[in-house]
Amino acid sequence: MSLDQEIILVAISAYLIGTLALLNYLLSRSELAKRIGIPCAVLGCAAQFYELVYRGTTTHIWPLTNLYGSLTLFAAMSVVIFIGFALRYDLWFMGGFVLALAAGFSAYSLTWDVGYLPAVPALQSYWIKIHVPLVISAYASFLVAFVSSLLYLIKYYGEQALAAETVQPTPAATPRAIIVGDAPNLERAAAAGNTLALWLATLPTLPKLDIITYRIVAVGLPLLSLGIITGAWWAKEAWGAYWQWDAKETAALVSWVIYLLYLHLHTRNAWRGLRCAWISVFGFLSIVFCYLGVNILISGLHSYKV
Amino acid sequence: MATASTADSGTLRGWLDEQFGDLLWQLSNFWFGMTLLGIWGFMTLLGVVIDQGKDPASYFDAYPAPLARLVLRLHLDNIYHGTAYVALIGFIIACMTLATFKRVIPARLPPLHPVKIDKVPLNATITLPGDPAGVRERVAAFFRDKGFLVRKRELDGVEWTFADQDNWARRGVLIAHLGFVIIAIGTTLYWAAGYSGDTAIVTGTEATIPQNGTRLKLDRFGYEFQPIRTRNGLVYQPIDYVSNLEVAPRGGVFQSRVLRVNEPLDVDGTLYYQSSYGVALSLRLTRNGKPEAGSPSAPLKEGDAFPLGATTRVIRYERFVGTIDKSGGIGPDPRPNNPGAILDVFDGEQPIGRALVPIGRDLDLGNGYRVAATGFTFFSGIQYRHDPGIPFVALGAFVLLAGLVISFHFLPARLYVRVDETAGGSQVSLAATTVKGFEIFEEQFADLVEALKRGLGLGPSSGPENAGT
Ligand code: HEM
Repeated sequence: MSLDQEIILVAISAYLIGTLALLNYLLSRSELAKRIGIPCAVLGCAAQFYELVYRGTTTHIWPLTNLYGSLTLFAAMSVVIFIGFALRYDLWFMGGFVLALAAGFSAYSLTWDVGYLPAVPALQSYWIKIHVPLVISAYASFLVAFVSSLLYLIKYYGEQALAAETVQPTPAATPRAIIVGDAPNLERAAAAGNTLALWLATLPTLPKLDIITYRIVAVGLPLLSLGIITGAWWAKEAWGAYWQWDAKETAALVSWVIYLLYLHLHTRNAWRGLRCAWISVFGFLSIVFCYLGVNILISGLHSYKV
Repeated sequence: MATASTADSGTLRGWLDEQFGDLLWQLSNFWFGMTLLGIWGFMTLLGVVIDQGKDPASYFDAYPAPLARLVLRLHLDNIYHGTAYVALIGFIIACMTLATFKRVIPARLPPLHPVKIDKVPLNATITLPGDPAGVRERVAAFFRDKGFLVRKRELDGVEWTFADQDNWARRGVLIAHLGFVIIAIGTTLYWAAGYSGDTAIVTGTEATIPQNGTRLKLDRFGYEFQPIRTRNGLVYQPIDYVSNLEVAPRGGVFQSRVLRVNEPLDVDGTLYYQSSYGVALSLRLTRNGKPEAGSPSAPLKEGDAFPLGATTRVIRYERFVGTIDKSGGIGPDPRPNNPGAILDVFDGEQPIGRALVPIGRDLDLGNGYRVAATGFTFFSGIQYRHDPGIPFVALGAFVLLAGLVISFHFLPARLYVRVDETAGGSQVSLAATTVKGFEIFEEQFADLVEALKRGLGLGPSSGPENAGT
């Protein structure tokens, strides 16, 4: 096994331990679990960045010209963006999911490792150093937004289940209860010692989870726009036209439209929250299609698989 | 009579104006616009899923016949250049513009008006000693210090203080929408005044670009492949494609230029790109050892065909093979070491045979016909494009991006403050609204109220005074 693969295995191991620790933190709020999880997240992404730099400097080949390298960056950036948001808004409880996804994508990257291949002529441009990191960072932001939307949905449907079990909801207990903390049903069930309710009560309120997702999309959408703009600029230089309706460009545009709809619908009271959480989940699926589906399933100007 | 007709036309005009106003109002409806955006996303997605611009037969190969017919009838094989798609984008822009001016601007830049403080979800009241006028001044100074835009108005006999955070950022929507319109102008300019195309020039020959009269002569096409051993076996990785050209603009003289991938040439505002390459094949057709009429006079490009003498058969040059391996098969090396060409023979549409013919050798086709692969030469595929819309598209993209960043990262919020006299002092009541709902401002509002209390000389307090938070 080559050194770079060994480094990735270190990262995957760190992510897996971090996943267990932060999932434990999500369930128990154990400070010890958090104190184990955070260094694992940092170690994992640091190892992945080191691996990219190592590969770039030993081979003199820019490491982001294939799926192996770009998936490595994707996993590492997801963790970096998560850490940034977690530090700012205390979101460590989401870390288990983020690290699990990072571990999964990193493991998958290994299946695309064919060794060292220099870049094909179309990729020999300084634009690759600008465009690819931007697009990957946008994808990574959407991964983190996806996780926070998932938690929103877990909490929302958990509350619904509790509402069905316990007394009829009072009129105030609507999912859009503004600035009143959690729905009264949840508080009642938690007071009665219901385990699910006790756990759900440790998560931020639904409106807060919704705002967390919004703030992450607020980083992802401008990054994706910038990624599409730099991609178009590069395409103008490499292929002659800034837009060729190539499958990758088009799939990125579809994802952009989905997040644009998210942005608009988030301005509506009735859509903020549950429906926007679903749009974010759907948006991330379209990102996965744009990133992996197009590279693997559809041949076009952007399919660089070997 | 005259009076009656004037009255009629007046009513008719009034009625028309009303209908038109109604129509514009409907078109500016948020949900209408969002539905259009959704349809745009869906149509765009269809173009990713359905291969675009293929020949009709390939859709029948790929899909069941009814689906293939549907694809072709609805022109889903060429979605992005279809009238429906282009019209949809035009419609989106129209609705977006109407929404911006008819709804967004009036709602986002609301006049300063009073509110019922306790009806706004984000509200608080603070009671403190001192007369209202003095307290009002201190409240205004507090918000001014925090960077708020502070304005005072007397409305319905009450003195209101309005404090706006990032008021300028209310225009983020306008900027984002404007960016989209500028991009649309840029792309329209291309449709109106731009052109593009491609040409394939065989080494030693010349091509003229029909739209601008520029002449391009290909002196040499070169490439570099590197054999690299990977975990999946030997890969011949392309490293460089380069065309040595001589270029003469209309009426100008030839000048040597080098064209590479990623390094386009700009000739009088038209850009030329190295987009592809191929190998042209020279073939000679003979019958009973004598040259046969219909033998191709120029080298063929991959996919070209010619008829076999007076028969119903056709010979097609399928593709070039760089290296024929020892067993007579196709080797992996694309470079011409032991080159050959794959030729297909058709009878009408029916394929009846395929052969790999080494260069310099010939193939017996029966009835005395023989076809010889006499040589090969490279051709260079060059794309060109003249797009006067590019500066607009680039500008629009950055305006759009700026609008997105402004809308996302600045939160215009308005605080409505009134100070009333109360037993033993003044009561400060404040409420806040933002352009993104209330939840997003909840924490900041609570912090502001705390800071205001401290600023007004009260310690951090608890109790009913924090109503609404
Ligand atoms: C049919 C097309 C469109 C319509 C009808 C439309 C309408 C609107 C409306 C009514 C708002 C204000 C929402 C509110 O504050 O209540 C808005 C916000 C916005 N729109 Fe559009 N829009 C359209 C397309 C676009 C496009 C193509 C972009 C691309 C950049 C865009 C970017 C924005 C942004 C950035 C905001 C601000 C959102 C916020 O502050 O949270 N819109 N749009």
